[in-house]
Amino acid sequence: MTTPLLAVRCLGKRFGGLVALDDVSFDVAAGETVGIMGANGAGKTTLFSLIAGNQQPSSGGVDFDGRPITGLSPDRVCRLGIGRTFQIVKPFPALSVLENLRTAAMFGRAGFRDAAAADRHSRAILDELGLADVAERPAGTLTLSGQKRLEIARAVATGARLVLLDEVMAGLTPTEVARMLETLRQLRATRGLTLLVIEHVMRALMDLCERIVVLHHGERIAIGTPAEIGADPRVLSVYLGAGA
Amino acid sequence: MTVVDTLLSGQLLFAALVTGSTYALVALGLNLVYGTLRVLNVAHGDVVMLGAYAGYWAFTGLGVSPLVAAPLIAALGAIAGLLLYRGVLRRMLGSGAASSVRLEGNSLLLFFGLSIILQNAAALALTPNNRGYSYLDTVVHLGGVAMTGHRHAALVIAGATCIAAALFLSRSLAGLTMRAVIEGREAAYIVGVDVERVQAMSFAIGFASAALAGVLLSMLEQFSPFSGFPYTIAAFIVIILGGLGNVAAGLGAALLLGAIETYGVALTSANLRSVLLYGVFVGALLLFPRGLFARRAARA
Amino acid sequence: MPETLASAGASRIWGGTLAALALALGALPFVANDYAVATGLGLLMWLALTQSWCVLSKMTGYVSLGHVVFYGLGAYLVVVTWQQWPLWLAVLAAGALAAVFAALVGLPVLRVRGPYFVILTFGVAELVRYSILAAEAASGTASRILFGAPDLVFIYFAMYALAAAATLLLAQVAGSRFGHGLRSLRENEEAAETLGVPVVRYKLIAFVLSAAIPGMVGAVMALRSTYFVVGQVFDPMISVTMIAMALLGGGDGTRGPILGTLFLFTISELLWANAPLAYMLILGAILAGFVLLAPDGIVGIAAKLRARRSAPTKAPE
Repeated sequence: MTTPLLAVRCLGKRFGGLVALDDVSFDVAAGETVGIMGANGAGKTTLFSLIAGNQQPSSGGVDFDGRPITGLSPDRVCRLGIGRTFQIVKPFPALSVLENLRTAAMFGRAGFRDAAAADRHSRAILDELGLADVAERPAGTLTLSGQKRLEIARAVATGARLVLLDEVMAGLTPTEVARMLETLRQLRATRGLTLLVIEHVMRALMDLCERIVVLHHGERIAIGTPAEIGADPRVLSVYLGAGA
Repeated sequence: MTVVDTLLSGQLLFAALVTGSTYALVALGLNLVYGTLRVLNVAHGDVVMLGAYAGYWAFTGLGVSPLVAAPLIAALGAIAGLLLYRGVLRRMLGSGAASSVRLEGNSLLLFFGLSIILQNAAALALTPNNRGYSYLDTVVHLGGVAMTGHRHAALVIAGATCIAAALFLSRSLAGLTMRAVIEGREAAYIVGVDVERVQAMSFAIGFASAALAGVLLSMLEQFSPFSGFPYTIAAFIVIILGGLGNVAAGLGAALLLGAIETYGVALTSANLRSVLLYGVFVGALLLFPRGLFARRAARA
Repeated sequence: MPETLASAGASRIWGGTLAALALALGALPFVANDYAVATGLGLLMWLALTQSWCVLSKMTGYVSLGHVVFYGLGAYLVVVTWQQWPLWLAVLAAGALAAVFAALVGLPVLRVRGPYFVILTFGVAELVRYSILAAEAASGTASRILFGAPDLVFIYFAMYALAAAATLLLAQVAGSRFGHGLRSLRENEEAAETLGVPVVRYKLIAFVLSAAIPGMVGAVMALRSTYFVVGQVFDPMISVTMIAMALLGGGDGTRGPILGTLFLFTISELLWANAPLAYMLILGAILAGFVLLAPDGIVGIAAKLRARRSAPTKAPE
């Protein structure tokens, strides 16, 4: 049995009296795409913050590629190979789109020391995400859809092996969703990415993910293939009401 | 005087109360302005200074008692605050500044610039020399404490105003509305609060209370165009320690600050007054690095 | 906002101007009288101070309103070790003292963000000022009289070296990977950290780098005064002037601060002798005015004009 790329072990997070995550565990194998599903407030983004190091867990831990990364600062976690997007986009507004990626390319796992090499690396990714023609524009002037693609581009540009995608489909039209799905599939294939995906857009989740973890009030209530999840009684009762 | 004697002295306690209540009054205004607008008006102390000059003239020029002039000068302050809000602030807030943090950082420099302008304009127009006058100079003995009449008056006025403000905020509908805006501006919009009016009102009250504090200050001490700034610092300390928008706790924090200063100076030397003030200031900010965001709400 | 190099031509013009300025200032003591040299010394001082300030505040967005504390500490060290330490040692030690102070104070202070950082740095500087004043009062020293200072030309060239060092430092930082990391954390600290920028370490390094030269500047300027008053070397207006000069210039390379310093220094020279209060008033007006109307300074205004004249998709670098 090979070591999973990501192992979430009994992860818990409390904020004062509020329990955001409670004893959540699951594994992600290298190359897999795993979805995270749950209502708002179920703890999904907190999960990402704990994995990426933006916040510290109250209990439990996270292993990446066999070694524990619990408690490491976000920049160290990034250099080890985990990239993430933020649900509320955080671009570098006054820097150009290309410069946004340059940061990722220079400081992430890819670690380019030289700006020119970093930019070559970045331009390829901008191409794949349809941002090549706005490369020189200040990131703050992009549309929301563009900024969301920029989030993904940056996370990928770090050279990450595992990318955490937080609701990247939110607010997209069905056509845009289809395009984004295609883009993500392509990125995943060409770079051998492992993906952890938070999504509300069911179609995207079912389409992209091999397995899905369902969270409810901070607990893991189900884990399985999209088909299994669709038939799981507990999931159905949470989403459709008791007795469904 | 031994340390114990100093600490138990009714005289010093009274002095601490007077200082503390003045700080509370100054902090009250800044609390409201910052709370509703998230704008750090570092020129707040200079409004106090201007109030002091107004009180000085009312007395030396027009022969009007500062106690009578005080409410009028406070009203003038309120009008000035409203004008400033309508004239300058709305433009700044509406200009769609890049991020709210940048706006706050920029607004601090903006008000700092305004502060420098005010202080030096006053110095140019009114000379940089110290001004002062004597009013209600007779010493009043009350329960073993001997204090000049003007100190009693200052304590009463400052204290009463702060208590009235605290009651206003906690008991009246308008006060509740103001607290709502302080705690969550967006949410207040959604429930239909006229945020514009609340902001204008807080500016008016802010400037009024600062001007009032200035008049009291003119009775108590000599002052110059540059006397205002330490009051801004004191106001910040009070807000940091007492919490944003929390006028009642601010009262406590102000009295504490007054006590630290008064007793600290008495136990050591007058030279340390500013050291204590800035020491507490730096300490408070370092202990509460999120500064004035006192509410530690649980995040979902 | 990053510097805009509209064309190779523009950057050649700037390079030429800079070289001419350097030469002119270098030749000054040999061709002009003492008054002119003293004026040039003032200009060099502000070039050194403002550009050092930019290494921290322009690059990271952490605006320091208390930078005078490094200048003051450096000056104080020289005065306190007067005639006991060789001058070169005292000046170098002043830089080291400022750097160490920055390293110690930086960690807790840099945890504070935005406007609170601004007033906190102000508070720290004032705390140091009043503490030293109180200590001096307690020991009975009101002021000091210093004999045997080196002559003006020596001091001038020491400051020339410091101004050159500050220019080189800022240029290096602005163009380096480190500088890109600083800009990133300025734009969004959380995102930068998540992309691998070691924000805590980088902020501290920028803080320390920005402190060393002002420490040495203070030390060198202390050599000028025969009559030393502590309060003056910790004057908050020195911090404010650094900010105003940098704000006036704009950008986040060396061009802005140099332009801003030249401009404001000229105004101050015209006003300071005859109308110091008016000068302060103008300083305040510049601060308030530029924040409100032109937060990217002269460089920003120039960039906007250029953008309007050339193709609409012109982008900043």
